Amino acid sequence: MRGGRHLAGVCVVAWALAAVPGALRAQSSDSLFATGLRAYKNLEFDLAAWLLRRDLAQLSATAPAATRAAGLAYLGAAELFRGKRDSAAAAFRRLVLLDPRYRPDRLVFPPEVTTLFDGVRLQTKTVTVEVPRDTTMVPGTGAFDIWVIASSFQTTEVTLRYTDGAPFRALYTGPIGDSLKVQWDGLDAAGAPPPVTRVVLRVASRAPTGELAGIVQVPLDLRLVRPDTLPWPPPPADAQLLPERAKSGAATRSLLGGLMLSGAVATLPALVGGTDMRSGPRIAVAGTIGLAGLLGYMVHRPGRPLAANMRANQTLRDAWQRRVAATTAENARRRRDIRLAIRAGEPTAIQPRGP
Amino acid sequence: MKIPLVILVATLTAGELAGQGLRAVGSASLVSARVRSQVPAGIDQFTGSAFLGEGALALGRVRLSASYLQGTMNPDGGTATARDLVEGTVLVGVRALDWLTIESGPHARAYSLAGSTQRWLFWELRARAATAFVGSAAQGYAELWRAVAADANVPEPFDHAQGGEVGMILRLARAPLSARVGYRIDHAVLGGGTRLETVDGVVVGVGLSGLP
Repeated sequence: MRGGRHLAGVCVVAWALAAVPGALRAQSSDSLFATGLRAYKNLEFDLAAWLLRRDLAQLSATAPAATRAAGLAYLGAAELFRGKRDSAAAAFRRLVLLDPRYRPDRLVFPPEVTTLFDGVRLQTKTVTVEVPRDTTMVPGTGAFDIWVIASSFQTTEVTLRYTDGAPFRALYTGPIGDSLKVQWDGLDAAGAPPPVTRVVLRVASRAPTGELAGIVQVPLDLRLVRPDTLPWPPPPADAQLLPERAKSGAATRSLLGGLMLSGAVATLPALVGGTDMRSGPRIAVAGTIGLAGLLGYMVHRPGRPLAANMRANQTLRDAWQRRVAATTAENARRRRDIRLAIRAGEPTAIQPRGP
Repeated sequence: MKIPLVILVATLTAGELAGQGLRAVGSASLVSARVRSQVPAGIDQFTGSAFLGEGALALGRVRLSASYLQGTMNPDGGTATARDLVEGTVLVGVRALDWLTIESGPHARAYSLAGSTQRWLFWELRARAATAFVGSAAQGYAELWRAVAADANVPEPFDHAQGGEVGMILRLARAPLSARVGYRIDHAVLGGGTRLETVDGVVVGVGLSGLP
């Protein structure tokens, strides 16, 4: 009697769909889910399963996982109450694959539903991977955190691979119960910063028998960020340096100046007309001035080292050397200060084909 | 004649006076002087030492200098008697170039004789060149002057007179003191050469510069 009523309801809905197909297509997924949920609560499980299946078929892959998970949970429960245990298990398997962390609310679903779900979850070996969208780290000392959340106890292999599938770095191989945090230090297997700009994080789940149960892959875009080095400080310009050897100008000026003045003293009487004066004192003055010029030439002789200028130049050169040393140290520090920027893509799941 | 000179001085000193303060220099020297006076009656020669004091005020390119010399000249043989020599100058000048100064002013000289005084007054035009020649420590200078007018209480009419001085000034590095040695001579011709007056001497002295 009850089954007949359900069948009648389905027929009515089918007639309605045939009569107004456009209207139903236009109906939103939310209203389909709400109608299916209402039918589930009214114990109209055939109608609920049909509506929820339609709802899930209309949901795109980009729909929120929680929305799809709720639909699968009610679909599995409806199928179970329709007596179709395999269909219920299939719905629950899809749910586990979609979200390994999902647990049906035990206040909403009766024990037979949750028991079936748990059984399916324990048999379904899958994981989900959570990584930060953008990370910048120092290779070697920093860490890129990878959270692996498992549907049930299983063995997982967490590896980084080149885009062609070749192994890049093995991160973890071993059992996982509920969840596991794996860290990558940003280096390749040889301990060097990655030489490529893209790797793939691959988490493979294995059943207790060792067979591959599923793979989740996350593409990681890598970028090495090297700070710019400082330019070398320019050496002191020639214009800044003082001459370190005496030039000939001062010496020549002293010698010629002394000679000219001496000559002027000697010839001054002839110039002004007083030639009859005795020349002794005049020659003494001329000699004194000439001697001063000669001494000046010796003091300022060409090529003489100019100690004060040499000290001043050395001070300039020392300051430049200090700036070079500081720049060298700073550049060495900057060369060591390599950062690795990691951008994670969208994870994709690969399920092995069934037997 | 005076107006163009004033304009020339104003042009040369424009812009200097406002930017520079008054600067004073002074020196005291000992002059070993000789005087030779040649007249048709004979030649008188005197030698002696004299004190020479000089001072100058400079404001920008303008310079006002004065000097005073006094000493006793003793006859160098012959029958002449000793005479006192007194000289003084007051000169106003302009530093036309960094190394060249043009000066002009009166130069008075007096010989005190027994019972009379022989006075000479020259109106001079002087050119003085000075520049350092041993680093900045030794400065050489050469000065020439010529009398543009003169008045002397001697019988012969004034013909011409000229003179000069050449020497060097040694400056101490960290002190305003300086030492000076030089040779000076002037020669006056009167009466078409019938009277020749020549005075020369070696100047040794110390100077003080940089006074406010």
